[in-house]
Amino acid sequence: MHRYFGIIIVLSAIQNDLFAAEAGMPQLNPKYWASQAFWLILVFTILYISIAKFYLPKIKNNLDNRENRIKDDLEDANKFKELSESKQKEYEKILEDAKKEINKIHVESKNTLDKDIYTKKQSIEKEIEKEISKAQKEISDLKKNSVSDIQKISENIASDIIEKISGDKLNESSIKATVEDLSKKNMGKYL
Amino acid sequence: MQQFSVHKIGPEIKIAGIDLSFTNASLFMIISASAILLFLFLGTKEKKIIPSKIQLIAEMFYTFVAKMISDTAGSKAKPYFPFIFSLFMFVLFCNMVGMLPYSFTVTSHIIVTLVMALFIFIAVTIIGFVKHGFKYLSIFVPSGVPAVLLPLITIIEIISYLSRPVSLSVRLFANMMAGHTMLKVFGGFVISLGLLGGWLPLSFSVALTGLEILVAFLQAYVFAILTCIYLNDALNLHH
Repeated sequence: MHRYFGIIIVLSAIQNDLFAAEAGMPQLNPKYWASQAFWLILVFTILYISIAKFYLPKIKNNLDNRENRIKDDLEDANKFKELSESKQKEYEKILEDAKKEINKIHVESKNTLDKDIYTKKQSIEKEIEKEISKAQKEISDLKKNSVSDIQKISENIASDIIEKISGDKLNESSIKATVEDLSKKNMGKYL
Repeated sequence: MQQFSVHKIGPEIKIAGIDLSFTNASLFMIISASAILLFLFLGTKEKKIIPSKIQLIAEMFYTFVAKMISDTAGSKAKPYFPFIFSLFMFVLFCNMVGMLPYSFTVTSHIIVTLVMALFIFIAVTIIGFVKHGFKYLSIFVPSGVPAVLLPLITIIEIISYLSRPVSLSVRLFANMMAGHTMLKVFGGFVISLGLLGGWLPLSFSVALTGLEILVAFLQAYVFAILTCIYLNDALNLHH
């Protein structure tokens, strides 16, 4: 370990000795001043020309492009925002109109329906009444007819029965009178 | 101070008797510039509306420098934006590349920063005279100064104006050199104190590395913003 550091110290001493000739500041040695100035001017001129002619315009172009793009995009965004706002208003208006329309239609249809229902109801009621009166009339007709029919039938039956039982034929007019008399008495029971 | 030494790579290049050889400094300038170009290439490869990470970073650098210029020098400085941007990126990448172990810090050499600062100084002075003619000299005469103090103030203003390249270059160079020297010194302490006492300087080294990365960014920012301020003086005469 110690030997290792010893070698390093010796080496650094040798190195210092080797460059002892350059002791002091090499910057102040004018030997290569002209060379440095010449190469500096050469290299810097080439650098300047290539930067000024090629790279800066490229960068500037790109930065301008980006700025324009951002500006355009912002303008577009504003335009679209306005458009969407107007569309929103339109939409709201349409919605409101539709609501009004719905209300109107609702009221109208209700009115017509009510009217319709009323008229239909009335006509149906009338019809029903008519039917009822017709039916009543029919019933009363039937009643009247049935009374005379029954009288006739009972007259016939009565004469037949009398004929069968007694063997005599009774006067038809007397039978009719008795049947009429009986039926008048008993009519209330059946009708 | 081996890390600051400049040495030749490849053959010696001499033009009109001046040694312009390719050195490790030149190599790291090219590495930094290539890194910037690669970064910008990757950052602009895809032109997405929603940027990828590297694109976002490239755009952040762009807006950062653009904002810095418009805040300090106003809209008149727009034509100089590519220069300021290149300058900021170059200094930043040189500083950052210098933070890598075994690399060379281009900006830790006074000659490099001085060339940049002198170029900025001369360019700003020319811009000032072109835009305002001899009225540009009024920059040395602040308004609202009592007549008695005016000669003195004018001299001070001239000195401060002339010392701009020096302060600009020395600030960057000294910051980078001092930071790297400090790291080197603490690194040396780690070795010499060994396994027993080396932990303390080692932890200092770690903390200093973080600090140096901050300084690398900060100095690039300061260099760029001071250039913007000088440019502002030339473009918009306030006095």
